[in-house]
Amino acid sequence: MEIYLPIAEQSMNVFVLLGLGAAAGLLAGMFGVGGGFLATPLLIFVGIPPAVAVASQANQVVANSVSSLQVQLRRGNVDLRMGLVLLLGGMIGSSAGVSLFTYLKRIGQIDFVIAVLYVVMLSTIGFLMLAESLRTYLKRRRNPEAPRGKLHTHYLVHRLPLKLRFYKSKLYISALLPIGLGFVIGILSAILGVGGGFVLVPAMIYLLGMPTAVVIGTSNFQILFVAANVTFLQAATNGTVDVVLALLLILGGVVGAPIGARLAARLPGVVLRGLMSLLILAVAAELLTELLRTPSSPYSLGTREVLP
Amino acid sequence: MKRLGRLAAAIAAFAVATTAAAQSPRIEPAPGALPVPNVGGPPDAGTPPSVPVEPTTPELIVDLSRARVSITSAFQGESILMFGMFDPPGEIVVVVQGPAARETVMRKQRVLGLWLNTGRQSFDDVPAYYAIAASQPLQRLLARGAGGEILSLADRLSTIKPATPRDADALAAFRSGLVEVKRREGLYPAAIGQVTVQAGRLFRVDLPFPSRLPEGVYDIKAYLLRDGKIVAAVSRPLPVGKVGFSAQLAGWADNEGPLYGLGAILMALLAGWLGGAVLRRL
Repeated sequence: MEIYLPIAEQSMNVFVLLGLGAAAGLLAGMFGVGGGFLATPLLIFVGIPPAVAVASQANQVVANSVSSLQVQLRRGNVDLRMGLVLLLGGMIGSSAGVSLFTYLKRIGQIDFVIAVLYVVMLSTIGFLMLAESLRTYLKRRRNPEAPRGKLHTHYLVHRLPLKLRFYKSKLYISALLPIGLGFVIGILSAILGVGGGFVLVPAMIYLLGMPTAVVIGTSNFQILFVAANVTFLQAATNGTVDVVLALLLILGGVVGAPIGARLAARLPGVVLRGLMSLLILAVAAELLTELLRTPSSPYSLGTREVLP
Repeated sequence: MKRLGRLAAAIAAFAVATTAAAQSPRIEPAPGALPVPNVGGPPDAGTPPSVPVEPTTPELIVDLSRARVSITSAFQGESILMFGMFDPPGEIVVVVQGPAARETVMRKQRVLGLWLNTGRQSFDDVPAYYAIAASQPLQRLLARGAGGEILSLADRLSTIKPATPRDADALAAFRSGLVEVKRREGLYPAAIGQVTVQAGRLFRVDLPFPSRLPEGVYDIKAYLLRDGKIVAAVSRPLPVGKVGFSAQLAGWADNEGPLYGLGAILMALLAGWLGGAVLRRL
């Protein structure tokens, strides 16, 4: 069954889009990440213009993070103070990111930048995850009783000025750090259409040293508002948010998430992370070959401008 | 424009009544498009009576099977039928042109092993769509006296103006790149369409429009040629636009960007909240 997407200006199979949403939801359920970082490249593979894919995906992230935040808020797993400081950086970053996006779109380089950023980001995360899960797997095999290693971190964090006390996170660190982190995630969110949880969560644990319990909820809090900001700015400046596309992805996600959660409960974490890293690397490899392969035609068209 | 359309519709009501009756038996004997006009082929004695009704018959009457192309949420491209009648002898050429706009052609090059856009060139007055159909091979029709305003795609595109100056070779390369992309999207059909002539004076032609169709008012012009000269020409505007839900959404996205954005956020919040609530019950 085909449906016409009014902003992407093309018809697309409903089930392909629902399936993509379900796949993203599956990941969300399995790993607690948004899944946007896989859904956006896949949307581009099936032929949605990258600008529309990114902006509509940001819209989907809003839905995704609000349903997770619901749970986290109820459990009291949100460090509001940390969330707000992150958000400060996130708002600046995402606003700057949308301006950058608009500029890149105008000079015709947005598709290239999206692809390159995805390749760099996905391959980094993919390899890190793969290495980590292999290491854990081998260690457990050697000694099944060994407790999971805890990373002990001591960075330059404590030397920065503007220190703030974050009671819920039991931290006393410079506000510049979460602001900077939020800024980077905001830019990623604007240009790639991702929530950024897969970067934010590890950064909060290892870089800021936040307790794991409040990490997911707090990152969800920041992602919700940053994604909403990106959706708003993309709609206002570029007009690239396709709500029909976003709604189909959201509906798919609603179906996919509980399946993912159930799968996650059954498979051991190491295997899960190993599988996920392979999936991420496969997408990165596909994007990279797209960049390296001689295109069937070197020509493409920019946006049509109807002159008055 | 609109008034012209109404007028056309009035003539159409008449034309449809006559051709509809004549069309159905004809489709069977000519399954593919027959290049030769088969004069008096299948049994269709019932056609002529309507012709003498009008005292001063124009040499060429045409109409379209639809007054507009509506892009709905189920739109997958559409085929529009142009049909009409002409005073024999003669041949028919139909030229379809989409609304003109500025198009920017971008060219990729390999830089450090990666393919990225390195060159760009804008052209003004580029038709969104361009197709030609004829009842005989076009070269033969136009060879003798050139059809004047009837332009092949190559000729039409030689009239588009580069927005910024560049040397002729480079411009030609970008121009052919433009045709390549448009052709891939089905907007510049490579083949000349087939106008089928029946009984020497009735013609019909199917005009295919792809699913990724730019909006605007298209112009469909039919020419009657005799000895390579245009003796009559009739033009029909064909508005192409989104309708219904798609139109509403696209309109909001275009004109009320910020409001549309807020709506999109609200929709996502609601869907996410409800979805989350439902999931926990399962």
